[in-house]
Amino acid sequence: MKKISVDHLARVEGNGGISATIDGKVVSDVKFSIYEGPRLIEKLTIGLTPEEDVSMSPRICAICSLSHKNAVLRSMENALNIKIHPKSYLCRELMHMGEMVESHSLHTYYLSLPDYLGYPNAIAMASDFELEVKIALEMKHFANHIMKVLSGRYIHGENPIIGGFGTFPSRDELIFIKNRAIQFMPFVKKTVDLFCTLDYPDVPEKETIYACCEPGNSNYGFWGDEILLSTGEKFFRDDYQKLTNEFVVSHSYCKRSRYKGKPYSVGALARVNNLGERFKGETGKMYKKYFNKRWHVNPLFHNAAQALEISYCFERIPELVDEILKYEEDPKAVKYTAKSGKGTGLVEAPRGLLIHHHEITDGRVSLVDIITPTAQNAEDIERYCQIAAQKLLDSGKEDKIKERMELVVRAFDPCISCSAHMAEVTHTPSGSWKNKLEEIRKNSSPVYIGAGQQDRSDDACGIDIAQKLRGLGFKDVWLGSEIIRDDKLEGYTEKNTLVFFDAVDFNEKAGKITVLPLEYILTHSSISHKFVPFAASIKNLSLQKNAYVVGIQPDSVARGNKISPSVQKAVREILNHLRN
Amino acid sequence: MNNGKLKIGIYELTGCAGDALLILDCEKELLDIFKAVDIQSFLMASSDNRDGKLDIALVEGSVSTEREIEELKDIRERAEIVIAIGLCATVGGIQARFTDPNEWKKKYKEVYGDIEMTHTKPVQSKPIDAYIKVDYYLPGCPIGKEQFLDLFTRAVKGTLPERYPRPVCVTCKYNENDCLLNKGIPCLGPLTADGCGSICPNHNVPCFGCWGPVEGANLTSEYYLLKEKGFDIESIKKRMANYSGTKLIDFLKQFKKESK
Amino acid sequence: MKIVKLKEANLHSFLEEISKEADLWAPVKAAPDRYKFEFIQDLNKIDTDCTRTILPPRKILLPPSINMFQASEKEYKEDFSHVSKKIIFGIHPCDIHGILIMDDFFSHEFYDPYYMESRKNTLLLGHSCWPDENCLCKSTRTHIIKEGYDLFFSKLKERYIVWIGSSKGDDLIRTKANLFEEDISDKDIKEYAEWCDQREKAFQTEINFDALGDLMELMYNDPLWEELGNACLACGSCSNVCPTCNCYNVADRPALEKKYSDIKRCWDACTLESYSEVAGGENFRKKRADRLKLFYTHKFQAYISKYGKPACVGCGRCVATCPVDINVKTVGKSLDGEKVDAFWKRLSKEVTK
Repeated sequence: MKKISVDHLARVEGNGGISATIDGKVVSDVKFSIYEGPRLIEKLTIGLTPEEDVSMSPRICAICSLSHKNAVLRSMENALNIKIHPKSYLCRELMHMGEMVESHSLHTYYLSLPDYLGYPNAIAMASDFELEVKIALEMKHFANHIMKVLSGRYIHGENPIIGGFGTFPSRDELIFIKNRAIQFMPFVKKTVDLFCTLDYPDVPEKETIYACCEPGNSNYGFWGDEILLSTGEKFFRDDYQKLTNEFVVSHSYCKRSRYKGKPYSVGALARVNNLGERFKGETGKMYKKYFNKRWHVNPLFHNAAQALEISYCFERIPELVDEILKYEEDPKAVKYTAKSGKGTGLVEAPRGLLIHHHEITDGRVSLVDIITPTAQNAEDIERYCQIAAQKLLDSGKEDKIKERMELVVRAFDPCISCSAHMAEVTHTPSGSWKNKLEEIRKNSSPVYIGAGQQDRSDDACGIDIAQKLRGLGFKDVWLGSEIIRDDKLEGYTEKNTLVFFDAVDFNEKAGKITVLPLEYILTHSSISHKFVPFAASIKNLSLQKNAYVVGIQPDSVARGNKISPSVQKAVREILNHLRN
Repeated sequence: MNNGKLKIGIYELTGCAGDALLILDCEKELLDIFKAVDIQSFLMASSDNRDGKLDIALVEGSVSTEREIEELKDIRERAEIVIAIGLCATVGGIQARFTDPNEWKKKYKEVYGDIEMTHTKPVQSKPIDAYIKVDYYLPGCPIGKEQFLDLFTRAVKGTLPERYPRPVCVTCKYNENDCLLNKGIPCLGPLTADGCGSICPNHNVPCFGCWGPVEGANLTSEYYLLKEKGFDIESIKKRMANYSGTKLIDFLKQFKKESK
Repeated sequence: MKIVKLKEANLHSFLEEISKEADLWAPVKAAPDRYKFEFIQDLNKIDTDCTRTILPPRKILLPPSINMFQASEKEYKEDFSHVSKKIIFGIHPCDIHGILIMDDFFSHEFYDPYYMESRKNTLLLGHSCWPDENCLCKSTRTHIIKEGYDLFFSKLKERYIVWIGSSKGDDLIRTKANLFEEDISDKDIKEYAEWCDQREKAFQTEINFDALGDLMELMYNDPLWEELGNACLACGSCSNVCPTCNCYNVADRPALEKKYSDIKRCWDACTLESYSEVAGGENFRKKRADRLKLFYTHKFQAYISKYGKPACVGCGRCVATCPVDINVKTVGKSLDGEKVDAFWKRLSKEVTK
């Protein structure tokens, strides 16, 4: 791997897919690929005025365009030191409610529910589930109406501007919104009941870290000036990079994020896990009724969390309208004089934490950093899919893998068109380990590490390979014991890939060679313990992602000094391959 | 399925998916659309998609990867009529703002570094007619519901879709807005194709040009008008370029010619 | 002609009564700097002190887009759904003249049922006004209206002198006759005469419209038109705001699930490039200068030879609207040999520099 620059961003959504590769009894590769081309949005707006940037950057995504609008406005207004009028603030929140309900109702009813009811799409579902489809349509229509009234049109509205709004909705329009929201409540409760009682499968289930905005004042909400993690940690908005640490992977134009080397999740489920105790009213009651421990570990509950949020929005909309109506005068957009500054805007888009960071120099945008929810979820999407695929493979349900991975991807709601894309499961032919090693050698400088124990027959194979590689004159070869004891990995960068050799029990035929990402081994409960010390010794986070294990199925690991013939053959094959 | 209905495919290349979303936002008409034609492929709405012959393909998004070039050529081969929908497909969109390939390469490197993409190679964003013949164009960022339904219905009925060669100002006047240019606000309405309903001026916000340039736009006059109102040359050019995509090149040629 | 008097305080009672039988339209303040004619549901929104509205009142008679008929392969059904009983209140003399010109045009040679049905169902209740710097109606002699209205309200201090111009206008007065007084006093007459006198003096711009018809022909090939063409943004606004422009386009709007098409009639403007495009893609007025010539020939010359008056009522809308200062004032004055300060003049210097 070569150098990775810090400034970035490609849009997600549109084309994407998920693929898993199965090598015998092991899922050796899971990739959540986004085929969407690079758009370089963060570069496009350099040199523009803040106003032009506010118009352009929401074009990143049509589905979350108002979240982007709110985020870029918050960022710009922080950078230019603008305090908007309370009426503008409330109207922006109302506008955001529109987008939240629009997106959630579209996702839950149109995109996810057909999965659970067994239809290819919502239109096909309409004949049997007329009421559900109708509720969804009406809800989405109403939400679109709110967005149109506040922002100017359904998609890419331009009425919200730096310092406030171009125009404000009339009293009649606001009262219509309030009354209609109240009328919806019976349907909203039905929605929550429906999505909180769906039969969510228990694979995959695994702990993760949840991140969201801290709305402050013990409220639920969709923006704030701090990031809150499920670990209890908090960061001020400008320190967002402590959470995100973005990096590039070669199978996607969407950048990735990890927190302290670990994937984390954002979105409705993250918010409900972190803030759900703060729900009041009907939503609070329903939260108490339905929330349970499985919501902590099962990403499929995203849909249930979205339903609770729809309810929260419908309870919040009438309150917001009442608050807005207290201000009779329409405030003019706040004028600003600042020519330079830095700012960050945090917003909860329907799909999760969205961060915009801007620097303005002499009245022009000079630096842009945008981190989208899907960029943050991508790693957890891959991880949960890998867990699901491995679990299903272990229990002999290989035929369910494809469907389940689609379900997982869709639950994260990464972007509607890619979440509807087909999943793909492929079996690798024998000998595919050579291709993988070739790929690693072609794209980066490998560092070889022999792991295992000298005196436990086949477990010595890793050490054997490392010593022989040294004998052949290879540089950058270490023994496992050396890297754990001393800090041998210091000095290596993301241009390097760590390649561990070891005996790994995959329950295969002795001598079978499998190449796996180190991370997959760590989620594989039966074999993970051996590699935990190695993972812990890798301080550089991008190296941790770029680490692979070349595992040889041992015949025996009993005490003794002899390596079995089949494993010896495998060692020779590997050495021959690397020598060429 | 052979039921005498036209076979339609809706495809998304690189873009914000706003045009496909807008089609979904035609809530009241959506069921009619699905009834009137046989939707063969619409990733945003359905997981049941097929790759056969098509009567009409609607394509949104710019071409930004090698994979998309192949996909697009395949669509062209399968479809009788190809309609470019949205700003990205018609002029390349905001991502086609770098008209100089070297500048694009440089910016690409700044974002992604030297990493080699294994899944598909990037190419500089271009409108779809850079690679295939396009039968009809429907501009907009995103497309307008009325224009879409009109074009779609005409295409389905086998009549020629209408062109929309008017600037935003026409609808802006129908909406009885005061001209923002007269107030010294840099509005791009006269240069921009109509169809949005003049939503920005309706909200006292100047037109940013998101429908792309209108045929016969008088760039020179607008340019000097803005200059007279105190805007500097670079900022005028940038503003005009934001949503013009590759059409910007034609714009600049016209400008060079007329300003000499 | 019958003349009555109405206390200003009684205006709303009168309007409320007559709006029971017809849709009432009147000018409202749409924004601090902008007026428009609106369908009135709240009488308090009416602004009688308004200057010109952005669009002229012809939009009430024929909106920018109407459905003319529904056509299928077998039959067609006319659609007059844009026609209803209407009262336009607060319309100024220039705009009444504008409607009279439209009446002339659409009632003779090119009889147009869509306009005429709408017009026959509409009553015009004029209102006096005060000129601003863009008003040219004194030059076009349309600042005073003597006929064509149903009622005309001349504002004096706290009261109106109401001129009854038609029997339908008289019927309106009778619906609430007790609100009106019949005796016009000497004081009223004196005040009215003084007001007229002062108004005459308040006009700031004069153009010799009598000469423009001939000048238009004489200067048809003058370089002036190229200068104008270079600056014209081709936005069509001058046509859209003009009270006497009446061009339209016709387009099919097929319905997706049904076997018929709506045939729509939409405003068009000769200053737009697409206006002169014909089947096959040929455009015989592709140049902006040629389109402007057509527009101004129409306004200054052609109407005079046909109807004996120019097709400009001096409302000043094009003056207030055109961002590059191409309007009857600057074009008229230039034709007449006067120097004008306009953006299109300055641009011409800039480009030839």
